[in-house]
Amino acid sequence: MAKIKKFFRYENVGMLFVLPAFLYMLAFVGYPIIHNIILSFQDVSAGNLVKGTRNFVLFDNYLELFGDSVFTTSLWNTLRFTVSCLVFQFIVGFALALFFSKRFSFAKPVRGILLVPWMIPITVTALMFKLLFATDIGIINFLLRSLHLIDKNIEWLTTPGTAMFALICANVWIGIPFNMILISTGLTTIPKELYESASIDGAGKVQTFWRITLPLLKPTIESVLILGFIYTFKVYDLVYVMTSGGPVNATHMLSTYSYKLSFEMFKYSKGSAVANVLLVILLFVGVFYIRATTEGEKE
Amino acid sequence: MDEEKRLSRKKNILFSVIAVALFCVLLFPLYWALITSLKTEQEIFQNPPTFYPHILNTKSYAAQVETGDFNMFRSFANSFLISTGATLIAVLLAVPASYGIAKYRFKARKVLLLSFLVTQMLPVSVLLTPMFIMFKNMHVYNTWVAAVLADATIGIPFSVLILKNYFASIPKDLEEAAYLDGCNKFTAFVRILIPIAKPGVMVCAIFSFLYAWGDLAYGMTFILDQEKRPITAGIFNFMGQYGTKWSYLTAFAVVTIIPVALIFIFMQKYIVSGMTSGAVKG
Repeated sequence: MAKIKKFFRYENVGMLFVLPAFLYMLAFVGYPIIHNIILSFQDVSAGNLVKGTRNFVLFDNYLELFGDSVFTTSLWNTLRFTVSCLVFQFIVGFALALFFSKRFSFAKPVRGILLVPWMIPITVTALMFKLLFATDIGIINFLLRSLHLIDKNIEWLTTPGTAMFALICANVWIGIPFNMILISTGLTTIPKELYESASIDGAGKVQTFWRITLPLLKPTIESVLILGFIYTFKVYDLVYVMTSGGPVNATHMLSTYSYKLSFEMFKYSKGSAVANVLLVILLFVGVFYIRATTEGEKE
Repeated sequence: MDEEKRLSRKKNILFSVIAVALFCVLLFPLYWALITSLKTEQEIFQNPPTFYPHILNTKSYAAQVETGDFNMFRSFANSFLISTGATLIAVLLAVPASYGIAKYRFKARKVLLLSFLVTQMLPVSVLLTPMFIMFKNMHVYNTWVAAVLADATIGIPFSVLILKNYFASIPKDLEEAAYLDGCNKFTAFVRILIPIAKPGVMVCAIFSFLYAWGDLAYGMTFILDQEKRPITAGIFNFMGQYGTKWSYLTAFAVVTIIPVALIFIFMQKYIVSGMTSGAVKG
């Protein structure tokens, strides 16, 4: 008893404060992760999920994935979806951040309101974009028809290529505010004097952007892109609500395919294996993020 | 040189006009959903489409109250209960945890911090099946408790990482003055530090609430009965059954956005600080 008391004197008291949250996360996140890894090495279906004996099949579930064309499509889809979203939301977000850094009357209030898309439940966003991209009543088809770019309505969500395009549009819409606000904050950290001395030295606007703004924003840009990658790569709700992976698996992502395997086909172990592949890729990218954030901390 | 600070009158007007145009384009999806919910089904299918409801139709809202078939106000109440529960757990656990991490230098500190950082990156897919089994064994499957327990795991790591910055920025002197006045570590934490970190606590509460409010995967997977499910799962179900009843669907969407809009209107400053400090720092 005395030993325990001695241990929690001074700095170690801190542990007592952290303990409840840590135990909670251990029970509801830590344990499930381990359990999910174990599941992926077993053969679990609806029959032996909660009760019953489970056999270990080692790497069978993972090996099966390599021959599964839906898995490879999902992996490829997740990658191209993530990269496309990152490129567009970053460029638009950056442009908006630069624009709103100018001090005009509406700058602050409008920039504030533009954050709303980021806050809206993704299910609702998915529904709104389904409406915009609807075949017969969709406003996007109407606009294209009015501009005489098409003469027949496009079936956006039931054609593989265009379905992916619609998903990317919706996700970019969510991502723009996030990129904009982080880059806006990054811009405010650049000392004004630098711009002043650059203009005294006769640097043009383009030159100032490439020589001052961009290099000084490097840490912000890094974290925006890494965080964006992590958030986008694990996309789930949006795809599940908008296309459910269809038409014919054409827009499945790793997350939606994992869900389909587990909760629609009841191949829990194979679903877990897909989820673990997703996890490994995220952790790999996450290492860069952790490195970037802990570098800044210097403790 | 002053160009960065003050724009000429002409430029001010030009930029403001561009800003309003951007606002209209970027928020168009929201406007479109709102007016669609107020149109009659007939008008929705009209070609060319109308850009405001010519005949105001509030039936899609009223019908939800009258017929019990698909009661969106019940799913709203479910979501509210689940999100409030998850927020309470997240804040109650994260406040002391972030204080411990910010103010004490114990050995496991870095590992703990890292583990909270990592949990923020986890995809739901990894947790769904194991949690499903766990909740079945705990006999909370198909109850709101399961969704609360699962949703809190999103709010906790976020809150810990945000609040630790708030606590770290409070000078040590304040705490020491409290000790001189007869406080111990726990009373100093409750009486002095928490009140100072209140804006941070607000950010955590708001984000934990928003995360839980927006959740679909947990609510849909751990709650089976439609009448117990959160509003997001309600919308999803509704879409499956009445896929083209756009006036009803968008009415559902508008009701789901109401709390988000209220939070935005009254607590905008917390949103900005949460998105920036929290996201950049983890």
